Amino acid sequence: MKVALKIWRSNSQTGERALREYEVDAPEWATLLDVLDLVKDRHDGSLAYRKSCRMTICGSCGMRMDGKTVLACRTRMYDIAEAGHIPVISAMGNMPVVKDLVTDMDSFWEKFKSVKPYVQPGYIEPPGGREHIISREQMSAIHKESLCINCGACVSECNAMESDPAFLGPHALAKAMRFVGDPRDSKRIDRLEEVSGHNGIHQCTRCYYCNERCPKGVDPRDAIAKLSAEAIKESIDSDMGAKHAKWFVTSAKTTGWLRETELVPKTQGVLASIKQAKFALELARHGKVPPPFPAHVAKNVKESRRLHGIVARQGRNGFAGIVQGEQAMAKLEHGHTGHSDRDPYGPGSFPRPYLPGEKREGAKA
Amino acid sequence: MKQVAYYKGCLASLSAKELDTSTRALAPKVGLELIELESVTCCGAGDIHEAEPDYYLHLNARILAYAAATGADTLMTVCNVCTLNLRQANWQLVNDTELRARVNENLAQVGVQPYERDIEVKHFLWEVAAGEGYEKLKVAAHRGLKGLKIAPFYGCQILRPSKLMGFEDPDSPSSLERIIEACGGEALDYPAKLKCCGFPIIQAREETALGELVQPIEQAYEMGADAMVTPCPLCHLSLDAWQSKLKKTTGKDFNMPILHLSQLIGVAAGISEADLQFKRHVVSVDKVMAKLDA
Repeated sequence: MKVALKIWRSNSQTGERALREYEVDAPEWATLLDVLDLVKDRHDGSLAYRKSCRMTICGSCGMRMDGKTVLACRTRMYDIAEAGHIPVISAMGNMPVVKDLVTDMDSFWEKFKSVKPYVQPGYIEPPGGREHIISREQMSAIHKESLCINCGACVSECNAMESDPAFLGPHALAKAMRFVGDPRDSKRIDRLEEVSGHNGIHQCTRCYYCNERCPKGVDPRDAIAKLSAEAIKESIDSDMGAKHAKWFVTSAKTTGWLRETELVPKTQGVLASIKQAKFALELARHGKVPPPFPAHVAKNVKESRRLHGIVARQGRNGFAGIVQGEQAMAKLEHGHTGHSDRDPYGPGSFPRPYLPGEKREGAKA
Repeated sequence: MKQVAYYKGCLASLSAKELDTSTRALAPKVGLELIELESVTCCGAGDIHEAEPDYYLHLNARILAYAAATGADTLMTVCNVCTLNLRQANWQLVNDTELRARVNENLAQVGVQPYERDIEVKHFLWEVAAGEGYEKLKVAAHRGLKGLKIAPFYGCQILRPSKLMGFEDPDSPSSLERIIEACGGEALDYPAKLKCCGFPIIQAREETALGELVQPIEQAYEMGADAMVTPCPLCHLSLDAWQSKLKKTTGKDFNMPILHLSQLIGVAAGISEADLQFKRHVVSVDKVMAKLDA
């Protein structure tokens, strides 16, 4: 098939920048990465892009196609070429471009390093040199975060980072959650305090681009929510973002609806609110500051108040409160029906892996 | 008439009452009969989800239970954030029998009927952008916005995460454009129409939020938009009320009127000012109405 592409070519040293069009003959199964290889091989050897594994493992080939960050090796070109569309290929966002499709990922790795992406062990060694066994339930709590391949697709599209480049961002924060949730780690509280700082979780603007773009299903936005819930559970809640979140809880269990007018002083403190007085008066003139009295109270609100007490006693808040929904959420990835009759280890499928303690068929007892 | 359980959420009950009144006035014209929900609470707005997630799930289960008890098949929202929070909780409850059983047991303890019959959560936009609602809208609002250039602004949580929302392609949606055109207006295209308005952090990180907010308003302004329209009252609040703060940071006075989706269709369908309540906006809508009358 004929595949046409437009590529933003640029060179940070000369400052040159131009949109060039290429057309190659490619096999029907070709991915964007295959097509770039053909362009480099047949048309212009100076085209720069990163690649390595070609199978969504190494995370090297992040780039944008029509403005949307993808892994080139995971993007098939057949439908696009058949439709006669000529996509525009450009470098990832939120990082400076070095040349063509290659970005400078220094700040990405600096943020990665800043969350100390390794286990800092704190468990008691079992006697006699035995293994420290972790249950499957414990590890499944960080299953999604462990899937990250550091490709940068989430960072490339992060709306909050576009506005404030100092924001730690979805990739580093998902990595932080991977260790906060690791039962072998001893620095959970230190980590929660660090991510609750100025450039941490409360900068996330909940645009959900990271979840949308991640090629591995890490769902960094959900990891950020897990960090927040866990920090608040541990009373690491002095940041305005945490106070803001907690006020919604107070509202829900007292009046049922958000106590909107009190939200600003409860989040920013009384002094900061006074500084906003002129702005608030302007809003009040248009009815945007509803009077706190009489309170807007939901009927039967005592039910939500009592629910709060019951839930608190059951102890499933913190990150566990989000992890509990993941089994259901995983069904979304597999065809939107929510129900699958197909046994993933049934006939015609890959053999089921053996779990520890299980006897292999035909193996000697 | 299609009966829907109507969940208006916090803002339409409080600082964005105009969203509630215009939705109510418009509903019968687009074939919707709204069933009032009295006992429901806030969905948590994503904040309870990241503060006390198990409580978030229970609050939303309670809302879903009351909505299902009306007998309607659809719980209709008028806010992106409510839509995401309710759809997320609903998906988890419907697809995890054990989780649902525990939540229902807790609901029973406080005297709430269990959430048993499944209900679907849909935004008002989805009700009028396709199917019968869209056919009725075309009749009700035919060529009522002639000469107006409207910049659609989607807001994040009606598009993403798309696997949970699923109404349209999150990278090239067309529902708002279709509605603007059915109302006789001209829909403008600009890159920031799919991006974040910054609202969730506008109190905790105002500077970062304003850096996001300026993009759609500035781009719509440069395209010559007469107004912007959004299906989300939180986007509306930041675009409308926080716009004055952009004057200080950018030195530009955009003076860009912002319409709720129900107001935009409402204008085209001839709903009265008493229901549209434009006086409740910070940025005046007068010049839009004047251009329409001219």
